[in-house]
This record gives sequence, structure tokens and C-alpha cells, in this order.
Amino acid sequence: MDVLTGWWDDYFWGAIVVGQVFMCSLGLMIIFGLLGAMAKLSNSRVAQKIAGAYTVIFRGTPEILVILLLYFGSAITLTAIAQIFNPEIKFVDVPPFWAGTIAISIIVGSYATETFRGAFLGVNPGSIEAARALGMSNLQTFIYVRIPEMWRLALPPFGNHMLSLIKDTALISIIGLNETMFVAKQAITVTGKPFTMYIVVGAIYLGFSTIITLVVMGIEKFGERTTIGAK
Amino acid sequence: MSFDLNLIAESLPLMLMGIGITFKLLIVSGFLGLILAICLLLMRISGRWFLNFPAQVYIYVFRGTPILVQIFIIYYGLPQFEAVRDSIFWPILREPTGCAILALTLNTGAYVSEILRGGVLGVSKGVLEAGSALGMSARQNFIYLTAPIATRLALPAYSNDVISLLKSTALASTITIADMTGIARTIVADTYAPYEIFISLAIVYMIFTFGIQKLFGVIERYLGRYMEREG
Amino acid sequence: MSTADAQPLIQMQGVNKFFGKFQALKNINLEVRKGERIVVCGPSGSGKSTMIRCINRLEEHNDGHIVIGGKELTDQIEDINAVRREVGMVFQSFNLFPHMTIVKNLMLAQQLVRKISKTKARETAMHYLERVKIPEQANKYPIALSGGQQQRVAIARALCMKPEIMLFDEPTSALDPEMINEVLEVMVDLAKEGMTMICVTHEMGFARSVADRVIFMDKGEIVEEAPPTEFFENPRSERTKNFLSQILSH
Ligand SMILES: Nc1ncnc2c1ncn2[C@@H]1O[C@H](COP(=O)(O)OP(=O)(O)OP(=O)(O)O)[C@@H](O)[C@H]1O
Ligand SMILES: [Mg+2]
Repeated sequence: MDVLTGWWDDYFWGAIVVGQVFMCSLGLMIIFGLLGAMAKLSNSRVAQKIAGAYTVIFRGTPEILVILLLYFGSAITLTAIAQIFNPEIKFVDVPPFWAGTIAISIIVGSYATETFRGAFLGVNPGSIEAARALGMSNLQTFIYVRIPEMWRLALPPFGNHMLSLIKDTALISIIGLNETMFVAKQAITVTGKPFTMYIVVGAIYLGFSTIITLVVMGIEKFGERTTIGAK
Repeated sequence: MSFDLNLIAESLPLMLMGIGITFKLLIVSGFLGLILAICLLLMRISGRWFLNFPAQVYIYVFRGTPILVQIFIIYYGLPQFEAVRDSIFWPILREPTGCAILALTLNTGAYVSEILRGGVLGVSKGVLEAGSALGMSARQNFIYLTAPIATRLALPAYSNDVISLLKSTALASTITIADMTGIARTIVADTYAPYEIFISLAIVYMIFTFGIQKLFGVIERYLGRYMEREG
Repeated sequence: MSTADAQPLIQMQGVNKFFGKFQALKNINLEVRKGERIVVCGPSGSGKSTMIRCINRLEEHNDGHIVIGGKELTDQIEDINAVRREVGMVFQSFNLFPHMTIVKNLMLAQQLVRKISKTKARETAMHYLERVKIPEQANKYPIALSGGQQQRVAIARALCMKPEIMLFDEPTSALDPEMINEVLEVMVDLAKEGMTMICVTHEMGFARSVADRVIFMDKGEIVEEAPPTEFFENPRSERTKNFLSQILSH
């Protein structure tokens, strides 16, 4: 463990970056997922086709390709645009943080699209009719009946999507994000202990995964209690 | 900047030269991973804590950490130990391909064993009781009832995991392997044409994904004849 | 079996069964001789299923003795298998093997347990399929059959093992009314041939015409045990009267 002395703070800040990427990509992933689900459920053929293409493309393409494409593609485009205004500029990129965050949320969002769509369709039409029959308005039905039931259906797969997100953050190191993998690389060049350094990275990720799993379990328990209480 | 079709025409054959490696990674680790998964499954359902518990820990660790970290631990990490370098496994672990196959196998084994367990849990208790009531032993019940029924139940989820494995093979490029993605990255480094190269490669992966889906669709229908009423 | 007349085929003595703290069977004493036909009835949760499931060890009893055809049910796995070979069971939910055709359903245990050759097993299977009047379904999968047909297959599957005893756990209660009779007919035929049977059922017509004895269970106990005429005309316990009035008023 001696070799790790002096590196803990670097790992800590690396882990903070992982956490930041996770939080940002979680928000974006939900947005992409909801947009995709809405498009698939909409009456517009065009929207359905686009959403269909979205899910097929990102479920069939390796994550690393998406990240590389988004980062290098945007960099080349931005550089070209910047050179129009100032030919001196050599290189402009979207920061790896944002390129990576957007890439992994698009990818996982394509899976979330199916989750949200399934949850929406899974709501028992009987409960909706019952709520209507009780005189609840559309909005009330949506808030008190549809959302809670969707939530219950979507939570277990949604937990898996969160786990995918956290694990995919490791891939962003490939485009140079300064997170735990990156820290390990630096530490290895100094100490020459690759196994130790990458095991620490693994342990950090295992910690994140555990937290997410526990939180999802907690929410599930809580949800069960409230629905049982409501019955 | 423009979309250079000539470049695609020139690069595609180069990238397709990596197809062999991509397939080798997919098929060898898919096969070994399946065997590992069956072993883990048997440990999980053995009803003995000293088999169940280690399997559970294994699955938890390998599903809770990013595959990229696992690849790096094996490829960069293991040679840290002299015992590894002196062992009979060194010829395998010295080669990036051997390491990639090992990492992919260990990773997919953990996921697939959970998929198989889902199938086993899905076998109706009544069917097994009927087997016992006819005098069949626990082993006969497993071989003739649980295994075939669980296989069919697990197949859709398993096909998704094979697709995930295909996508994970692209990470082999991070440890110098010249699979399709590895070659593409080299070409992009030379040509600065990420759009052309990465998008055309993504399409290749999507075609393979589509092929895997079709293949499993056929197997599912064949093994699932008994689920159709006209049968 | 020459000893069968001297010794009952099924003997339960002081059997208790617990699920955790809950006592599902309380001091069950029951003797069934060869060729006897017993009907068991009682309210839901009274322990009927648990009792007959103890007879072929699908449930383990906690106290008392269960002796089947001279073999006591203990933890000995050989004894359990020996008993299970002699005891056929039919379930409420049929429990056919979904991934096998009807004829394969009937052949599997013959081949694995009785070590009978494939051709012989197929012959036996077809013989019993004819007896339950659905030989033409032999090569279909269970899902393609109606509930009544599936239950007849399940009976045939048990009979293929040439059991000494047949247990029925509410074989008709998952069926649509129009299919109940086709299954009861098969059971009546079996009874006429002298099969030793224990049937959990609420088909009181069947009980009247076929049973040698009717057993009424409540809260894990055998409350009343009598020949059908006596049982229906002249029930002794209050609980039985209540139960009968509820069932017969339907
Ligand atoms: N595996 C089990 N674990 C815990 N309790 C059980 C189990 N099986 C049965 N019980 C309980 O034992 C009691 C008797 O159950 P049993 O199934 O024998 O009743 P039954 O008379 O067959 O009822 P029914 O007419 O509903 O089939 C019930 O209260 C039931 O809840
Ligand atoms: Mg019952």
C-alpha cells in the first residue's frame, strides 16, 4: 500500500470527475430517453422513424466508436469553423468532459427509450379508466396514477441504465478526460505498479456501482411501502 | 470539410481486414464465457454457501466494474507480478489478444450466468414437482426439464449479451490490437477523417448486430416451437 | 401384494407438519387399504394439498410416521424414490412438460425412472392415451390442448408408471365447467378398475358415486371421516355441516 501514498488525493479528484460525469449524463440520458419514448409513442410517422433509427444505431455501435466520433468529429468541425474566422487557430475541441458525457448519455438514452416506452404502455388501462370514472382530471390522472405506476415499472431497468452510465464513464479516459483511469496511468509511470493502480480504479467503480444499487433498492422498498400503504 | 466517399472506399477494405480478429474475440470469448457462466450458475444454484458465495462475489465484482478497467488490469496489471511472468500462462498473457480474450470471457461469463439464472428461476415449480412425483431425481429434473426450458427462456436476453460482447470487442483496440476499431483509429490518426471512417465502421458493426439478432431469432423460433399454439 | 390385505397400503400416524411456526397438519391419522377410494374435502387452506403432498414426499412431515406399501418415508433418498415410483400424482394445474410433445411427456419418466426401452415406452404411452381418449394429440405440444385434454394427458402420464396409488389434488378446479366431466369420467373408470385413489375434490357427485370414504379437513385436522351416504345425510360435526351447506348451496 506504500506505493499508493501521495496518490489518494489524485484518485479522489478523479472520482469526483466520475461523479460529475455521471450526474450530468444521468440528466441528459433521461431527456434523451423521454424524447425517444415520446417520439416512438407519437402519431407522427417521421418521429417514429427517427426514434427507431436512434435506438437501432446506438444499440448496434460500440460505445468507444460513438465517443471517438463525437469527440474527434466535433473537434474537426469546430476547428474548420474557427479557421474561417481566424486562420491562425490550429485546434478547437469540445472539452472531453462534455463530448464524453453527451456520448454516453446518447448511448444509454437509446436503451432508456425502450424502458420508458415499455413503462408507459405497461400502465394498466383499467387504473386510468377508474381514475377518470372517479372524476379525476387528465392532469390529476397523469400525476397520481400514470406517473407512479410508470415509475414502478421503469425503476429496475432504469437502475441498470445508471450502472451502464457509471461504467461507461471509464471509456471517456480514451479521449483524455482526467478521471481515475487517467490518474492510474500517471501513477503507473511514476511507480511502475500497474496492477495496484488499476485495482484502485476498479475498487472506486465498484464503490459507485454499490451506491447506485443500494439507492435503487432503497427507492424500490420505499415505492413498495407507499403503494402498499395506498391500497 | 466534406464527406469523402473515395476515402471510405479506400479504408473500408483495410478495416475489414480486422474482421477476423473481431470475430475471433467474439467467438472464442463468447464460447469460453458461456462455459464459465454455466459453472457460475451451477455454483449459484447448488444450495451450498461455499459455492454460492464465491460465485456471487465474482459476479458482483465483474458486473460492478467497467470492462475497460478489467482489460487494463489483465493486460497492464498482471505482468507486475513475477509469478505471472514465470507461469505457464505467460505466453497467453503476454499477448494482447490473449489478454483481451481473457478479460472478455471473465466479463461476459458474469453477465451470462445471471441471464441463465433468470431462465432457471423462470421454470415453473409445478413442472419440476411433476418430475419429482414421477420419480425423477434432482439431476434428471435439471437435465431434462430445467435446462431446456431455462435455455429457451434465457435466449432473448442472451442474444442481447452477445451483441454487448461484440461491442466490447472494440475495446481491444485500447491495448494495441488491430481489430476493426483498432485499424479505424490508425486510419483516423493518419487522415483526420473521423466522420467517414467511424461512421462507415459503425455501419459495419450494425450489420453484424443485425445478423446476430436474425440468427438468434431463428434459434428462438426453433427452440420455442412448443410455445406456439398451432404447433 | 400379498401383505397388502394384512397391512394398509397407506398409513399415516400422528403426522404433524409445520411451515415455520404455522402448523399446516395436526396429528393426522389415516389408513388406506388397497383398492380404496378416498375423497378429501374441506375449506381452502385446511391442509388437503399438504396432506397428500406428504404422501409422496413433495412436502416433508415433521413428526409421525408415513408408511407407503411397507416403506417408511424417511430422509433415505432411495426410499423416497421407491415410494414415488408407486405413487402417481395429478395436479390442479396439470404441470405437463411444456417443451415436450404429449407422447414424449408420457415416455420421459418411463425411460429415465423405469429404464424402459424407447419403443416399449412409446407403446405404453399410446395405450394410455387411448384410454383417456386422445391418441390423436400424441405429437402436439401441451399448449395446443384444451385444459381438459391436458389434464387427461397428466393422468395418462402418471398411469404410464403403473402406480399402485393415484393422488389427485383438485384435478378439475382449474377447468372450465364443460371440461370437468371428461376428466371425471376418466377418474371414474380408474376407480372402477380398482385403483387405490385419494382425491382432493369438491365434486360432490363424484364423491357420492365413487368414494368408499369421505374425509373432511379443517384447520389442519381430519374432522370427520365417513362413507359418503353417512357423510352427506348425517354429518356429525358442526364444521362439516357448515361446509356442506356452503358447498351444496352453489
Ligand atoms: N410452502 C408453504 N409455505 C408456507 N405455508 C404454506 C406452504 N404451503 C401451504 N402453506 C399453508 O398451509 C396451509 C394449508 O395449505 P394447503 O395448500 O394444504 O391447503 P388446501 O387445503 O390444499 O387449500 P386449497 O383448497 O386452497 O388448495 C395454508 O394455510 C397455506 O397457507
Ligand atoms: Mg390445495
